[in-house]
Amino acid sequence: MAPSNSLPTDLDVLVIGTGAGGAPLLARLAQAGLKVAALEAGVRHPPEGIATDEVAQLGLFWTDERLSAGNDPVGFGRNNSGRGVGGSTLHYTAYTPRAQPDDLKLRTEFGQGEDWPLEFSELEPYYDELEYFLGVSGPAEYPWGPQRKSAYRHPPLPLNGAARLMQKACAEIGMRTSPAANAALSRPQEQEGYGTRHTCTNRGFCQAGCSIGAKASMDVTFLALAESLGAQIVDGAQVTALTMKDGRVTGAEFMRGDELEHLSAKTVILAAGAVETPRLLLMNGLANSSGQVGRNFMAHVGMQVWGQVEDDLRPYKGIPGGLISEDTHRVDGLIGGYLLQSLGVMPVTYATQYARGTLKWGPELVQHLSGYNHVAGINVLGECLPYEHNYLELSDELDGRGLPKPRIHFSFGENEKKMNAHAEALMRDLWGRIGARDVWSLPRAAHTLGTARMGANPETSVVNPFGRTHDIENLWICDNSTFTSSLSVNPALTQMALSLRTADALIEGLKQA
Amino acid sequence: MTTGEREAVLAMLNSAHVTEPTRRALLERLDARYEREFFEVAEFERLQALAVRLLPHDPAEMDLTGTVDRRLIVGVGDGWRYADALPDGEAYRALLAALPDGFETLDGEAQDTAIPALQSSHPRAFEDLLAELTEAFMAHPLTQYRFGYAGFADAPNWPQVGPNELEPREVAYGPQ
Repeated sequence: MAPSNSLPTDLDVLVIGTGAGGAPLLARLAQAGLKVAALEAGVRHPPEGIATDEVAQLGLFWTDERLSAGNDPVGFGRNNSGRGVGGSTLHYTAYTPRAQPDDLKLRTEFGQGEDWPLEFSELEPYYDELEYFLGVSGPAEYPWGPQRKSAYRHPPLPLNGAARLMQKACAEIGMRTSPAANAALSRPQEQEGYGTRHTCTNRGFCQAGCSIGAKASMDVTFLALAESLGAQIVDGAQVTALTMKDGRVTGAEFMRGDELEHLSAKTVILAAGAVETPRLLLMNGLANSSGQVGRNFMAHVGMQVWGQVEDDLRPYKGIPGGLISEDTHRVDGLIGGYLLQSLGVMPVTYATQYARGTLKWGPELVQHLSGYNHVAGINVLGECLPYEHNYLELSDELDGRGLPKPRIHFSFGENEKKMNAHAEALMRDLWGRIGARDVWSLPRAAHTLGTARMGANPETSVVNPFGRTHDIENLWICDNSTFTSSLSVNPALTQMALSLRTADALIEGLKQA
Repeated sequence: MTTGEREAVLAMLNSAHVTEPTRRALLERLDARYEREFFEVAEFERLQALAVRLLPHDPAEMDLTGTVDRRLIVGVGDGWRYADALPDGEAYRALLAALPDGFETLDGEAQDTAIPALQSSHPRAFEDLLAELTEAFMAHPLTQYRFGYAGFADAPNWPQVGPNELEPREVAYGPQ
């Protein structure tokens, strides 16, 4: 393989970003015999270098400053960003629920929100393929959504303290629960291009990176496969501009260290996420004839409820989101719905959220934090509608490279407020049933979505149903910015499905050309 | 930090239950001390006084305010800030300037009385500083020992994850 400092030439496809959007298609295109490379702003974080310590793992996150505006400013950094070979999948919790068919048809069902320009049946084969390839651990029978064509590849991971408490509380009120689908291994698995991925050791630090290779982050799955097939990944490469000629994109300029470099390719795929992708397009004035670049920013309703119990729970152990319920997928009076998940938590994350969420200080703060071993959490993930008032723009403030910092406006609308209230009441009831004390709630928003939306109409969307930009024939986007609606599930698995689908469309198009 | 506490922390950090990258990070943090660089002397004294009230701790044991100063010098943030807030360093300076004259010389009770007004006049900076100090406090190996937190000692694995299903090293770590 070429040394990492020598740049590839004659590229068929250049991918910008190596997360859940960029990685699957990189492997798929390499598999089809195309000459492909990826630029990644972050560096490699191999499992053996991962510390079981949140502060030491800060390098997994995008720490260039973003400006958060609106009535409900969204936190970034540790909450909603990723940087490194593997992108946000380095720190995702490995939740891999599927979207349900009606998630894609919100406008049809409610007259509000948006319909996706594709059908569930188009995603389903990709879901099947992904769950097998990643090695998802899940229940034999999943109670929600259409009947699965095949069982999850591995049995579910063990339920930790919070999961067992949620199970008990939900049973009391007749809510169904199930071990969740998690892309972390309950049995070892051979991974093509990587080697053996080991069984999860229950260390519970998924959000600070997996030191075992048990979690299906992109580096130990699709990217390893892609590199084994000849794809080249250039890490530490921050893209600063797309280059254009005669209405076509010709490549990308990027900084490695202090060097400004350039890579040319016949096709470019932006997979930098719902903040960096629109930021780059806006800086370059590209693909925006619709005026929709940066618009429709969405972040899932992510209310959390926490409490402390007598039992010694050790919330740092076990897969953090072991148990799920989708019984609230539809709730009277709400547009869309939400799912409920149990929560393990790492100590610094818990402590800083508690400080910000309650603003308690002094002995009262320390007293509460000293009970960390007894903390149990539960949270929801719910639909967020696209609104005119939620958007990303370029600010006048410049970052260290002299590029404008993005400013993201976010305020919950009426539906999100109602959903928050409904979810908080439900979770407080559940945590009351397990005898939790010091119960507190944290309204928050999770995931960044929708800033270069997908649609059939070029006047109201940025990319077509397969991810090609309406404006520039050889520029594609494949990341969570293309989400037409937020879906009431964690986005990673659907993102990967869209990535494989985009790759297949691109390959098919090249065959026909 | 008593000798016993230090020995217990070191024994665990140097045990086979802690992976090398984890050990390196925690050993370095256990004894980390930083020279004041970002803040002026008077500002730093106020910050130290405020930090002790917000997160009661012994500055000789853990250098929380030095950690804040160091972070501002290095210039690495947490990836975002409120759009209506000043950049972190300036915001903290304004926060400290808003404390009553001679705050650092007041007794603890009088200092506490001044804090709610600070919180209302500078809500964003107050929240950010509180969160940053809380992070430094909770991430410190000594705090973790005192809270009986053993999550960093995760090698080779946690065979049991249910309530009260503790490994001997989890039971033994922390004040008994």
